[in-house]
Amino acid sequence: MIYLVTAYAFAVLILGGYLAWSLHRLDRLLNH
Amino acid sequence: MNRYTRLAGIAVLLMLVAAAMIFLYAPEDYLQKEPQRIFYLHVSSAIAAFAAFAVVLVASAVYLRTESARADRLARSAALVGVVLTTVTLVMGMLYAKPIWGTFWTWDARLTSTLVLWVVYAGYLLLRRLAEPGRQSARFAAVVGIFGFVDVPVVYFSVTWWRTQHPGPVIVNDALPPQMLLTFLVALACTLFLGAVMIAIRYRIETLMDEAPSPASASVPVIAKHEPEPAR
Repeated sequence: MIYLVTAYAFAVLILGGYLAWSLHRLDRLLNH
Repeated sequence: MNRYTRLAGIAVLLMLVAAAMIFLYAPEDYLQKEPQRIFYLHVSSAIAAFAAFAVVLVASAVYLRTESARADRLARSAALVGVVLTTVTLVMGMLYAKPIWGTFWTWDARLTSTLVLWVVYAGYLLLRRLAEPGRQSARFAAVVGIFGFVDVPVVYFSVTWWRTQHPGPVIVNDALPPQMLLTFLVALACTLFLGAVMIAIRYRIETLMDEAPSPASASVPVIAKHEPEPAR
């Protein structure tokens, strides 16, 4: 169970983190 | 809220649907138990990464032929997203391997060729970051982007060409029961959509960065070219 939770937590962190960072970067570029 | 934020919201919603199917709909595997659920996103992210690298291949070939700035931007964007997806594939694979094989890593052909794929495209990104921007570095990167794709079929066929600890293809061999297959196909479609949205956002960022004046050119004063004195 620990490996399943860790695997999906990692995926959420990387994919979600990358998506959020991209949107933040885009927002900054569009507003400056 | 702009178009890209809306697309990202749809992608997140679709990934939540995929997660619901993975954890609530798909049956538990009789032999592998709970860790088998890692399979759905592990394989989906690998296929999405292959698709991203295929975009790099096509965009790089178009760039070499036409020198289109748009093709170069698309190659850069898809390479970054491909590396992110390959990272997810590798780490999820390691966390899947530990309870099933008893080890996080083994140097078998599938794992090694996937690591090589990650290194090739991480190198591509490093090249784009460190090289002086311009025609020469873009052309060189395009060549790396094209030749790097050679490793994609090697990764895919590694389990049939060599004897590996990694299992062979289960989707094309019809080895999944219907509920698991449906869950996998939904997860795959959602991950492909997420990858496409990530590439679209990155492409927009690259376009805005290309159009913006570089800080170096803004801060360095323009030095007038020395004009020779007129002949007397």
